[in-house]
Amino acid sequence: MLVSYNWLKEFVDIDDLDVNDLAEKITRTGVEIADVAHPMAGLKKLVVGYVEECVAIEGTHLHKTLVDAGQDEKLQIVCGAPNVAAGEKVIVALHGARIAGGHKIKRGKIRGIESNGMICGLQEIGFNESVVPSEFVDGIYVFPADADVKPGEDVYEALGMDDYIFDFDITPNRADTLSMEGAAYEVGAIVDKPVKIEPVVLKEDGAAWTDSFSAEIDQKLAPKYYLRKFSGITVKPSPLWMQTRLWNAGIRPINNVVDITNYVMLLTGLPMHAYDARTFKDHQIGVRLAEKGEKFTLLSDKKIELDAQDIVITDGTKPVALAGVMGGLNSEIQPDTTDVYLEVGVFDPTLIRKAALRHANRTEASSRFEKGVNWDNLEKAENMAALLLRNEAGATVAQGILKAADQQKEPTVIKTTVSYINKVLGTEISADEMKRIFDRLNFESNFAGDELTVNVPARRWDLAIPADLVEEVGRLYGYDNIKSTQPLLAETHGGYSEAETKLRRVKSIVQGQGLMEAISYSLTSPEKAHAFVKEAKADAKIKMPLNSSRSVMRQNLLEGLLDAASYNFARKENELFLFEQGRTYDREGGEFHEHEHLAALYSGHVYADNWQHEDREVDFYFVKGQLEELFISLGIKGVSYRAEAISGMHLTRTAGIYLDGEYLGMIGMIAPSLTFLDKTLRGHEIYAYELDLDVLSKYQTQGTKAVPAPKFPAIERDLSILVSDNLTNEDVEKVIRENAGKYLTKLQVIDVYQGEHIESGKKSLAYNLTFRNDHDTLTDSVVSKAMETISEALIAKLGANIR
Amino acid sequence: MDLFDKLVELRKDGLAKIKEATDEKKLNEVRVELVGKKGELTKILHSMKEVAPDKRREVGQRVNELRDLFNEQLDGTKEEILKALAQKKLEEERIDVTLPGKRGHVGSKHPIYLILDDLEALFIGMGYQVVQGPEIETDHYVFEMMNLPKDHPARDMQETFYIDSENLLRSQTSGDQARVLEKHDFAKGPLKMVGPGKVYRRDDDDATHSHQFMQMEGLVVDKHVTMGDLKGTLEMIAKHVFGADRATRLRPSYFPFTEPSVEMDVSCFNCDGKGCPICKYTGWIEVLGAGMVHPNVLENAGVDSSVYGGFAFGVGLDRFAILKYGVDDIRDFYTNDVRFLGQFRKEDK
Repeated sequence: MLVSYNWLKEFVDIDDLDVNDLAEKITRTGVEIADVAHPMAGLKKLVVGYVEECVAIEGTHLHKTLVDAGQDEKLQIVCGAPNVAAGEKVIVALHGARIAGGHKIKRGKIRGIESNGMICGLQEIGFNESVVPSEFVDGIYVFPADADVKPGEDVYEALGMDDYIFDFDITPNRADTLSMEGAAYEVGAIVDKPVKIEPVVLKEDGAAWTDSFSAEIDQKLAPKYYLRKFSGITVKPSPLWMQTRLWNAGIRPINNVVDITNYVMLLTGLPMHAYDARTFKDHQIGVRLAEKGEKFTLLSDKKIELDAQDIVITDGTKPVALAGVMGGLNSEIQPDTTDVYLEVGVFDPTLIRKAALRHANRTEASSRFEKGVNWDNLEKAENMAALLLRNEAGATVAQGILKAADQQKEPTVIKTTVSYINKVLGTEISADEMKRIFDRLNFESNFAGDELTVNVPARRWDLAIPADLVEEVGRLYGYDNIKSTQPLLAETHGGYSEAETKLRRVKSIVQGQGLMEAISYSLTSPEKAHAFVKEAKADAKIKMPLNSSRSVMRQNLLEGLLDAASYNFARKENELFLFEQGRTYDREGGEFHEHEHLAALYSGHVYADNWQHEDREVDFYFVKGQLEELFISLGIKGVSYRAEAISGMHLTRTAGIYLDGEYLGMIGMIAPSLTFLDKTLRGHEIYAYELDLDVLSKYQTQGTKAVPAPKFPAIERDLSILVSDNLTNEDVEKVIRENAGKYLTKLQVIDVYQGEHIESGKKSLAYNLTFRNDHDTLTDSVVSKAMETISEALIAKLGANIR
Repeated sequence: MDLFDKLVELRKDGLAKIKEATDEKKLNEVRVELVGKKGELTKILHSMKEVAPDKRREVGQRVNELRDLFNEQLDGTKEEILKALAQKKLEEERIDVTLPGKRGHVGSKHPIYLILDDLEALFIGMGYQVVQGPEIETDHYVFEMMNLPKDHPARDMQETFYIDSENLLRSQTSGDQARVLEKHDFAKGPLKMVGPGKVYRRDDDDATHSHQFMQMEGLVVDKHVTMGDLKGTLEMIAKHVFGADRATRLRPSYFPFTEPSVEMDVSCFNCDGKGCPICKYTGWIEVLGAGMVHPNVLENAGVDSSVYGGFAFGVGLDRFAILKYGVDDIRDFYTNDVRFLGQFRKEDK
């Protein structure tokens, strides 16, 4: 809500306050003032001019005018606006003037003709086009003939530009301030000044009409619905004072009838709507839900298809307005309208909000109805509008208001205690002081000892429970005056959960390994969600995705890292050591599950470009080494790797990772078929792993029982064998370990060879074995015997040749 | 020439030869020649029978003196030769220490986690537990328990990613509050928690909106928790993250799950409150929302609101990171450009 400071002054005495201080005070106490605008700021030498002569300049669209701008001499000004004419009062930018955007106006020549200034349109002096009356949008502004302005006067006051416009950036609970009266109550309470809100005294001068008009109102949709009837109206522009108030509030003046409804809305917070009386030929009106698919044209000319949840106003049969949102073209006030029905009502907030959203047609009216309106103010709004219609449109006010729906709300009475309010705020505000606060708010309050009863007026429908009063007292007492303290509570022990502690350990290790942490989006496409997993599960799928590439929750993290790789490769960043620790999501048996995962992606070189030309590329074994280091750091033993086909991964360079037979994750190279399809990934070898940390954490151990470093020397032996190339290292190691006896402490592959010098179908493997007895010095003969046993077993079980 | 003359001469020759020896091999030859088993001094000793008996003692003494002298000189020269050799080797091994080192990869934390870790450490130090809840939440915990009525705009399909009528991607971490409140045994002491995590909203991604971002929820509930405590706690967060010299202000605000509700602003760290584009010329930057826990939230979780009360706050971690590090596009946090991420390596505490 844009609140005019000048208008506000009519309700509260705020003359002695600096405008910016007032805004800051309102912000700290009530509603955030997002901005204070002063329309004339930055403008200079803009005065009223009277066009005495106006002649067309032949062969152009221009006019040469002679303008009385209150200067010693009449000014010759060339003007290009189509609506310039003699006898008009206009806005003149004199020589040396400054208009919107900081542009300076100087005398000069246009087409060789001297021009001593400029006749301006409203946009040129800073008006937003959306508030400029439509007849002046494409030309200069012309003051109404009866406007009280004289040539040479500054235009600012007449146009309302000397005002300060407070942008009340309200929260949904404070819709009571979406009106001048509401804002006045709020500001009055804040600055502790009385508020002058006067009742309307209206004398109806027309005939009674309500008995000859029937209304069928669905009271669930419109618990309150009032109608007044007027006749003898002359439709014309509204007076300038009203227009300035409207445009300062961001509303475009249309004509006196429509402007009055908007003006009363600004005043009371109640949206109103005026219908041409010819709409209701049958003297009946209805409020009902629309029929699905009903076609309807709004008065903005927008054609919509109604929904079964839209509320419509009807003439008994067909819709004539989308209730609470916008009127229909078929009931609009016309230039020749003489008789008018004026509606004010209360509509279901949720249905109004949804209708405005559904038809992408949020209006001043709908934004008020969706947040609630003052149920007690309908009659005042009708009467205020009636007064204005009589004064500004010559209306005869028919006798009586048709109250077609008139449900009442129970008055809100809140009981609490002074001590409760103080306890929550941490203050020691006395009962007297609290009473003064409620007086400032114009709430009737009664104190009996500690007990406190407050009668909340209908205009503050946001208040219902004692905690609401805590807020009222707290904010008016001043949050700045509340002492900052720390909770004085029994001691608690802060910390992470055990699960979180384990996750953090994993993250710190991989960061230490040189991995950069990434965060990807959890929502992805179904294809990506299912890649890189052993078995895809049912998806957590969004009902209304923003787009198909973000429609399901990821079941792996790697797809996000791969997106990151693609993004970076496209920017020539080819050295990637990335990780993400986050969740994956799936659905099983109707239940949703979230799993903590870790994924790492490697591409490029082990070392950055260096002058020593050590340019080893990242490969499977490098990444596996990193993973092994991670497991060592986590105290995890007995991990096994099985060559395995996993979607999205290289068929023969990928392993499933197992612990105690349980699938822990996978490691390998991203499938070439996948990288080939993506222009930026093409040609890059990418290695990755992904682990299920929920599984891993079960094996993650902490707590070390120290063992002394070995006291006896170890003996090392090398063993070189030739085996069939379909045997894996794991096969060989298994046989060695099973036959090495109890002193083998370490077994290491030291060479793998396949190719020339070796018969085809075979490979050569070399191992280094370390033996040690922790309780005695080991003898050669014991070790030699163990080596013999190993060799025999390798020959017998694997057909190995010992070399 | 008698033996004494010979000794004088040998002394002169010997010292000259030692001096001439420039490498270890030559020096060894000289050593053998002078003090070896068949060397000059030995020869002199062998010719002792030619010396008068009364002089023999003196000759012997002289010979020993000369041997000591030679040995001393030989050792000294040897040391010099070795030193020179070592020096030569060092010269040969000289490298250019100004050439760059060979770099591997340096790990880093994501900027949002830098902010989060820092805040968690702060709150853990004050006795808060860090609690994490599910991201796929139920309407019940995210909205119903948090006092968001059925037709509240936040529950719109337009605002929230729904999976079905009951399940959704949480649009706020407040659901963790309800879960913790339900479980907490107040007989065992006050409830103090922070709950960080990812949240999702149906927003199109642009410089200031992201359909996914991170929040941290805070909740303190006990018998005597006041708005003053909330104010003190919020000021501490603001000053901890944005600097002790920041001014703060509380503004009334509205959240369905707190009453009263407030928002906190800090004085703009760009212009120090004078007004600039970053603070939209207000001098203030909004940093978080908070309030006193709404009685309905307590009652919904089975906590007696006439006995217990407390405060809650919510921090947008992305927003904190944007403000603290001067990031101008929220999407930068999720595109994972290594040039962007790499610059935060030095930030970790």
